[in-house]
Amino acid sequence: MKTDTINQAEVGMSPAQLVLKRKWTDTLRVTLRAVVKVKGGLWGGIFISIMLICAIGAQWISPSDPNAQDIMHRFAGPSLDHFFGTDYLGRDIFSRIIYGCRIAVMVAFGAVTLSSIVGVFLGVVSGYNEGKKIDYFIIWLFDIVRSFPQIILALAIVAVLGPSLFNVVIALAFTAFPFYGRVARAQTLSVKEADYVKAAEAMGLKPLKIISRHITPNIMAPVIVCLGMDMATMIVWESGLSFLGLGVRPPTASWGIMLRNGYKYIQTSPWMILWPALAIALAMIAFSLFSEGLRVALDPKERER
Amino acid sequence: MSEPLLEVSNLTLDYNLGNRKMRALDRISFTLDKGQVLGVAGESGCGKSTLGLAILRLLPRVAEIRRGEVLFNGANLLKLSEEQMEQEIRGQKITMIFQVPQNALNPVFKIETQMTDILRVQDKYQNPGSRKRRKDFRQQAIERLELTGIADPQARVSNYPFEFSGGMKQRVMIGMALSSGTSLLLADEATTALDVTIEAQINRLITRLAAEYGTSILYVTHNLGVLSEMADRIMIMYAGRIFEMGETQNVFGSPRHPYSAALLESLPSRQSKGKRLLSIPGFVPPLDRLPSGCSFHPRCAFAEEMCRQKVPPLTEVADGHWSACLLDQKRGRQKWQWT
Amino acid sequence: MLKYIIKRALWVIPTLLGVLIILFSLTYLMPGDPASAMLGPRATPELVAELNQRLHLDRAMPVRLGYYLLGVAKGDLGTSVWSGHKVSSLLAEALPHTALLALTSLGVAALIGILLGAFAAVRRDSPIGGGVTIASLLGVAVPDFVAALLLMLLFCVQIPILPALGAGAAGDPIDIAVHLILPATALGIGWVGYLARLTRESMLDVLDADYIRTARAFAIPRRAIAYRYALKNAVIPSITVIGLGVGKLLGGAVFVEIIFSRPGIGKLIVDAVYARDFPVVQGGILVATILFVLANLAADISYAFVDPRIQYD
Repeated sequence: MKTDTINQAEVGMSPAQLVLKRKWTDTLRVTLRAVVKVKGGLWGGIFISIMLICAIGAQWISPSDPNAQDIMHRFAGPSLDHFFGTDYLGRDIFSRIIYGCRIAVMVAFGAVTLSSIVGVFLGVVSGYNEGKKIDYFIIWLFDIVRSFPQIILALAIVAVLGPSLFNVVIALAFTAFPFYGRVARAQTLSVKEADYVKAAEAMGLKPLKIISRHITPNIMAPVIVCLGMDMATMIVWESGLSFLGLGVRPPTASWGIMLRNGYKYIQTSPWMILWPALAIALAMIAFSLFSEGLRVALDPKERER
Repeated sequence: MSEPLLEVSNLTLDYNLGNRKMRALDRISFTLDKGQVLGVAGESGCGKSTLGLAILRLLPRVAEIRRGEVLFNGANLLKLSEEQMEQEIRGQKITMIFQVPQNALNPVFKIETQMTDILRVQDKYQNPGSRKRRKDFRQQAIERLELTGIADPQARVSNYPFEFSGGMKQRVMIGMALSSGTSLLLADEATTALDVTIEAQINRLITRLAAEYGTSILYVTHNLGVLSEMADRIMIMYAGRIFEMGETQNVFGSPRHPYSAALLESLPSRQSKGKRLLSIPGFVPPLDRLPSGCSFHPRCAFAEEMCRQKVPPLTEVADGHWSACLLDQKRGRQKWQWT
Repeated sequence: MLKYIIKRALWVIPTLLGVLIILFSLTYLMPGDPASAMLGPRATPELVAELNQRLHLDRAMPVRLGYYLLGVAKGDLGTSVWSGHKVSSLLAEALPHTALLALTSLGVAALIGILLGAFAAVRRDSPIGGGVTIASLLGVAVPDFVAALLLMLLFCVQIPILPALGAGAAGDPIDIAVHLILPATALGIGWVGYLARLTRESMLDVLDADYIRTARAFAIPRRAIAYRYALKNAVIPSITVIGLGVGKLLGGAVFVEIIFSRPGIGKLIVDAVYARDFPVVQGGILVATILFVLANLAADISYAFVDPRIQYD
């Protein structure tokens, strides 16, 4: 008898709810294990972990203060004192690279979180109200923002708001939300026909509750896959804006600002460009390997292969 | 006296999938005479389709022919070079038509383009030095379509495959495959995806054109029913082996293998009216996990201890009628009655 | 199909209207008084008042929007606050440089990438496949502006064989071509690997399709099967990607033009941002956006030509 009642209760439940009945840490562990099994996913995971550790513990890991100037030892090559050499103010490049992780991670996580929340919300609302005025309005909004070349729009927003870490996050998030919105809308269109949504509607649940309880949790897989790849893009664009002098303000250590300084002294000290370029390259490879792993792990079709 | 066109002997073929090895064809031997129709039947996953692909050497990369030969007009096709296959055999003497769901025709090219490409290749190898133009090939394509009964071929030739129904696509395929030069047509589940009425039309078209051109047919299907009208001889396959082979009226009239009997009993017919149709219990075993002895024994209603132990050889049980069942001798003339 | 194309093209109008509204409202996001912000330290009350009047900044918001839209409709994008030149003539000067850069890099990259991917799929056991994977990973790893810096470091500083700055002397095709090599490579190199990988993957799927088996059964020559029958199917995903990629390309052009000091739209926009010359920023972004919208339109339309199955609803 007992099993019967459980089954009855589970009929009206969405797949994600069934999953959520487990602890979310279990779900995370299962997903991560699947990611790590994919070729390259493990390496991506390791690199990202290193980046996170550098970002959180920069003050303990870096050998010296990233802003400490040492005019006597400007443009020094790599040595035991300064693993990566020093820049035009004699600052330790190795320490600045580690502190740069912090900016990169903050911008990436901040912008991606903000834009995915806004995008998914609008996308679900639009998909749930398919064919209504609000749907057309949201699609129009998405199409307008998507019409701008992304980085150019971000550049314009920062130019207007003024360069700062916070404004960079806002600008990047604004350029990216329609992409999450489109994914979420397309997913919602397929999910809302499912039995558990119909059942919830029949029970008279309010739309907002159906959206938050039954639709949103079940469309997250493809959104999460986008998150991974998008973080890489955000890191590049933060560097790009900072490189143009329209991102994080100096003397903050950002890879983009380090490239900017390197560009100024390209004739005399090449390693000033090489180290931040290398840091960006490693971050990009890490995030793309990891998100590729995520895609395979979350795609039931791929898992069967 | 009939002349053999195709003689397959001891053809054995494996699929190597990683560490799994699947024997898709196991010592297949048969002959097909000129102008004759040989029906090959069996459930899905019996290696029937592999047979056709093996003859044309269009097998997937994982397939490996272990031994045996395929004599076509006396020449072993397995020994020919890839160039000889292209110049003399494929699309010339031997053609093949496939099951047509959506994809047997290229979705992004017009029918005209696909047909003229094939006609051009045929022309290049058959009349070297011919000076046919694009216009001539187009005209030829239209004629072929007309022969297969497509209405308004002038206009339809410029359509894309997605604008055709399944039956019409199969007509296009037949138009590509059948011409006066074709000695052998391999039909692989050619009508499986079609409606029953369309299926009958297409089969009649195939038989009519083949008779006209003197083309032999190897007709592979899982539907034994369609073979009763078309085939001169029938070959029943199961899990990569031949279970029974003989004249159509003999196989239909007095099947000598319990598997053939079961397939026949699962067909609707006048006699079976009002009765429940048989469905054979269980399913075809995966080819890498075949049961011991006779591979059919777990599903066979008549299986005995002996069937578990010994692999039954294919033996001639009557004149031109072959069967692979250990119980055949013991049973004598008694029929295999499943229900 | 014509109906689909018209419908798709008409959708551009409301989208561009929205783009204009956003560009217009950006001025409202400026902290403080826009006129003094634009003029910066030179702002005297008289100059501020004069600018306010010239840009209609003293009028109510709907009136200003009306003026702005009317101006754009007439092709008048305003005048530069800094130099007093017409924005439209500044853009007309810059546009050919950006167009040349973008078309060269995308065209060459698409050609190399798609052919390389197809080749890697046809020879699926050769090391080319692995090479394509590595190339695509490198394309991801080295974003265009980092590639530009590294190329400059390598070919202008370490082994100085190519010019670092400028677009070459006008009217001298060889000089222009030489000045184009590094910027176009920086912008296009990531696309080669990406498109090669995309083409390779879809080509591998296509080569297993039933219609390829049909073609082989009829002795269509292998080369024709691969590069005609299969490639036309396999190239479909790349078309969409290229259309969407034009936005990324124009964004990349901003950096590449700054780094190599090429007088294109991107450099115009960034220099105007530095100078707080807002009409020029607005105009530059508008032109870049229109280019991107048109590229997407072109991609969607050519998609309809390559894939006849597309639903025209």
